[in-house]
Amino acid sequence: MTELYTASGSKVHAHKADIFCRDETRVDWHSKALWALREKRDRAAGSLPEWEQLRLLGSQLKLHTLSHLAQYLEQFEQQCLSNGIKVHWASDAQQHNEIVHGILAKHKVKKLVKSKSMLTEECHMNPYLERHGIEVVDTDLGERIIQLANMPPSHIVVPAIHMKKEEVGELFHQQLGTKAGESDPLYLTRAARAHLREKFLTADAAMTGVNMAIADQGAIVVCTNEGNADMGANLPKLQLHSMGIDKVVPDMDSVGVLLRTLARNATGQPITTYSSFYRGPQEGGEMHVIIVDNGRTEMMKDKILAESLKCIRCGGCLNTCPVYRRSGGYSYNYTIPGPIGIAVGAKHDDTNSIPWACTLCGSCTYVCPTMVPLDKIIAHHRRLKAEAKRLPYGKGGYMPLVGRFMANETLMNTSMSAARLALRVLPGSLLKPFSGAWGKYRELPVAPESSFASWYNKNRSR
Amino acid sequence: MTNKHTILSALKQSALDQHAMPAMDVVANNDDLVGQFNASLNTVAGTLHSEGGLAALQQAVDELIQQNMQVISLLDGIKGNRQVPETAHDLADIDYAVIPGELGVAENGAIWVNQPSHRVTPFICENLILALAKDNIVANMHQAVKQVALQPGELGLFIAGPSKTADIEQALVVGAHGACSLNVYLY
Repeated sequence: MTELYTASGSKVHAHKADIFCRDETRVDWHSKALWALREKRDRAAGSLPEWEQLRLLGSQLKLHTLSHLAQYLEQFEQQCLSNGIKVHWASDAQQHNEIVHGILAKHKVKKLVKSKSMLTEECHMNPYLERHGIEVVDTDLGERIIQLANMPPSHIVVPAIHMKKEEVGELFHQQLGTKAGESDPLYLTRAARAHLREKFLTADAAMTGVNMAIADQGAIVVCTNEGNADMGANLPKLQLHSMGIDKVVPDMDSVGVLLRTLARNATGQPITTYSSFYRGPQEGGEMHVIIVDNGRTEMMKDKILAESLKCIRCGGCLNTCPVYRRSGGYSYNYTIPGPIGIAVGAKHDDTNSIPWACTLCGSCTYVCPTMVPLDKIIAHHRRLKAEAKRLPYGKGGYMPLVGRFMANETLMNTSMSAARLALRVLPGSLLKPFSGAWGKYRELPVAPESSFASWYNKNRSR
Repeated sequence: MTNKHTILSALKQSALDQHAMPAMDVVANNDDLVGQFNASLNTVAGTLHSEGGLAALQQAVDELIQQNMQVISLLDGIKGNRQVPETAHDLADIDYAVIPGELGVAENGAIWVNQPSHRVTPFICENLILALAKDNIVANMHQAVKQVALQPGELGLFIAGPSKTADIEQALVVGAHGACSLNVYLY
């Protein structure tokens, strides 16, 4: 495969996927692990007769909120203030990181325990705080694994899905002193529990993401299975929560709908173990919420892209995606991989290749609990890239020629009959090189007897 | 212009049409709520004790204390062997915490808990015991969110089973950072 780099050194999706695909056994294992999640999701969704109604309600309530977003954000802020929660606004990642650091510096925080937040990944907050001398400890088990391995998450819900238990065992042996060669998940999880418990008990502050922010309550909802967000937020006296502007919902009824679909669509569980509603700081404590834009209002200016803000980050679209399952989370040139990663990350992708990491099969859209039209958004990104003259893979050069060719009936018909003849009489070895990347894992087609047009004229045209 | 005003004024250029809030009329399955709740609680790795009520709970607590377990009870009428400490961190060696559950949800086995004294109690204890009145079980989350009392300034939460993770090769391990087991006593 041709190695395509950008000036900054990033590589196109197909190249990174090619690296991932070198180990075929691992790719199969990765694909099956994700498909197992999809199957669990199907069983959970199938157990509710009202599932499709819930998807529609989720979509409608999110569209309603997004179309009244300024009003709900202001209401949320007012309610938070009256509950004793401090509210901050950040236009971009830099401002977000500065605000967080400002709060931590004021309280002389040396150690911050953090639970999963894709937003802080998006803002590259950990390295920023570490540069300022603050120890950041990721406390979700999967997040801690990849933090110790010095890797970014490869999935938004199961961040270490790409790692084998033997690799985790070796990592823990080196970093946490577990027994060499031990890879039993129960043993490793217990070791992480003991290791992180010490961190929770000695932390100066805690930080979490936000699953939902309830406008009329001035409360935030945090969902975890491990209990790490709550262990963190309720021990030190300082708690911080970062949220994108898209996380706000109007009321408790909205939360009721989304809590029914979130975990079912993510892992097939009926609900996460903990769904915690924080409506104020603990006694003698401080609670801060940082509301972040970072490109979201820009997406709202495009009617199609705006719908990607309905996403509740369940990860269902990743698990079902035939491309993600076989190319891995590190092939997307963005913090969030998979279909939703393309939807919200394509504009940041300097290789301009990720909108093509998609077969447009629509499976993601079909499983989405808030009916984000992911395939439509991805196709739209291709159009936007073409309009901006940023087509990858040489498409900018040959696609206009293909367009002219296909628009010319005579030229098209003559060439296609030549192609049919060539497929019949010439050896495959001679023709295969012309099929390019398409032919790498495919056989050439058997040439049909005639063109569709002549078949139609003979059989159907009366 | 402050960040807030920059964000709010950028939203004025939104391309989205106005959408109305949908009516949430989802049909509930009200058949055998205790049975549904029991099945859901099993799914999320919790254990239900539906016979004997609070007397059975006190008996279980007494047995735990005889085994030298550290038990704290936040439930009126149930006596443990530990008092609520001054600081939350002193709960780190609690083996069992008994906490009142306010409302059960049949469809997913979740139980609503209002802010306990020391918010960290249901998470930091090695094992969690919740007590729940039989009559306080609703069919689904739509009903639950209407009935729970989330007080201004407080923490309230749904707990569905013990803490768990499947972050290593998707193998389910019960007992991640929160409680390693959940027993629910119906009364």
